[in-house]
Amino acid sequence: MNRLMALVKREFWENKGAFRTTPLVIGGIFLAAMLMFLITFNHFDNEFQSLKELLRFIAQSDVALRDKILYEVNLSMSVIFSMVLAFVVFFYLLGSLYDDRKDRSILFWKSLPASDTLTIGSKLLSAMFLAPLVFWVIYVLTHIVIMLLFSVVIMVLGENPWTLVLSLGSPFKAWSLVLLSYFAQSFWALPLYGWLMLVSAFAPRIPLLFAILPPVVLGVLELWFDFLKTFTLSDNLFGLIGHWFANSPLIMSADSHGDEFGVSLGAPLTSDFDHQVTVANMFDRLFSSDMLINLVIAAIFLAGTLWLRRRATES
Amino acid sequence: MNYVIEARGLTKRYKRTIAVDNIDLQIPEGRIVGLIGPNGAGKTSALKAILGLATYDGELSVLGKSPAKDRAALMEDVCFIADVAVLPRWIRVWQLIELTGNIHPKFSREKCLQYLSTTKVTLDHRVKQLSKVMVAQLHLAIVMAIDVKLLVLDEPTLGLDILYRKQFYTNLLNDYFDEQRTIVITTHQVEEVEHILSDLVFIQDGRIALNCSMEDVQERYIELICTPEYAGSARQLQPLHERELFGRHIFLFKNANREQLRELGELHTPSVADLFVATMTGGAS
Repeated sequence: MNRLMALVKREFWENKGAFRTTPLVIGGIFLAAMLMFLITFNHFDNEFQSLKELLRFIAQSDVALRDKILYEVNLSMSVIFSMVLAFVVFFYLLGSLYDDRKDRSILFWKSLPASDTLTIGSKLLSAMFLAPLVFWVIYVLTHIVIMLLFSVVIMVLGENPWTLVLSLGSPFKAWSLVLLSYFAQSFWALPLYGWLMLVSAFAPRIPLLFAILPPVVLGVLELWFDFLKTFTLSDNLFGLIGHWFANSPLIMSADSHGDEFGVSLGAPLTSDFDHQVTVANMFDRLFSSDMLINLVIAAIFLAGTLWLRRRATES
Repeated sequence: MNYVIEARGLTKRYKRTIAVDNIDLQIPEGRIVGLIGPNGAGKTSALKAILGLATYDGELSVLGKSPAKDRAALMEDVCFIADVAVLPRWIRVWQLIELTGNIHPKFSREKCLQYLSTTKVTLDHRVKQLSKVMVAQLHLAIVMAIDVKLLVLDEPTLGLDILYRKQFYTNLLNDYFDEQRTIVITTHQVEEVEHILSDLVFIQDGRIALNCSMEDVQERYIELICTPEYAGSARQLQPLHERELFGRHIFLFKNANREQLRELGELHTPSVADLFVATMTGGAS
């Protein structure tokens, strides 16, 4: 256990830029955008003459509606963090078992009494839990800082920040849902993570090419062969990947629930699952037969990864 | 006798070539063994098998464990420096020390810091900021702070200057080596290690060409330096190897009658390098 934690810590040290600086930059951009909005508001050609007037209007609006909008805004703020997180984890895993082979530091890592299983485990855990956790913490901090700044402005302009925004929008519920959706997504994405690690352990060079080319070639060939038969979305590799993506338990896109507009789980292009952001819907995916298939595919890829990693120093 | 490394029929095949060809080798505890051979002779392949870094055929036991199956467990008692400059470049010195301490049960942080204090390496340095010599010093400090039974050094001083190379082996001998430890070294720079070795293993084309202790070398092999007029009689005594230097003939003999040779010229104990050349070109074993 100590060894595993030491190895996870090593992943954090090596990837501080990707895991910590990146979300900090996103948070910084949010803050900058908000400051710019506050500074330049009066120059906009809009229906409100001043910020004070806008706040007056908000204060008089329907509380339930305000509560709902703030909640949705809070959830959608996570989407940018989530998208960048997905990229960060993608490239992290792609390099995870490749970089040390390339610079030969694998010889040092293998001189430590840590098994290859433990090494791969530490990298997978970093991708599944460490990176999402750091992103989440910074997302929450960004939200808190924005709320505090906004409250100060509201107070200066003579309104009550508590009744206006702070007491509304269920931030704790939103934050918990986002964190839960990150972890749910980590399990849902295991086949992708397994594939990326397999490629990372295998690729003699340019892992990105080895990660993307085989599925694309396979998918195109499949499309070509199937072209004269019944061509449906779910019957080929691209379709399967599309379904897998659309069904993610990650909060990631806009959707209309009935006549209301809001964020949704995955992309509401399929009707296999309910896309509304609830805990029940996340668990629904995690305990589905689709998830079982995901786990089987991930297990195959990870077993291959281990096999390759054991032989990584041959040549 | 306790053997640290025991190999029987050890073989390593690559697609087209056989790097290690059916080697039998026993290395007892408390020795400093030089594994010496030309490029491509199979030294590194043999070491990789011993360290669990590559698959192999045949029987191999290192400290009673199978390297192929138990690499992680084996690494608690074995350390290796496989060539210089394999430390991860992004890591900071303090991180490296903390990490090794957390993973290696036999690592002493105090010892490591003590070794480092004699160098210019600081805890805040990143490995990529260090010079080649400093990286080697750092790696050696880490390795010497780990209390293991077997230390494997594969070309540990390659590309380093002579001052550091001398110091490297001095540190190793004075501060690290004792009766319970075994060190296996491969190197091209035979002259630099010959006075610290207790045993010699020559490898040629994947086979062991010579395997004996340094005492045996002194006992078995003798070098005769004579003027050209005696060269003919020396040749009749079946030398293993002959060469000429400044008009004098130098012969290498195995198990020769020393009284007889003394009449022909000067006698010397051959250097490992000369023995190596003779073995590789003749067949001294």
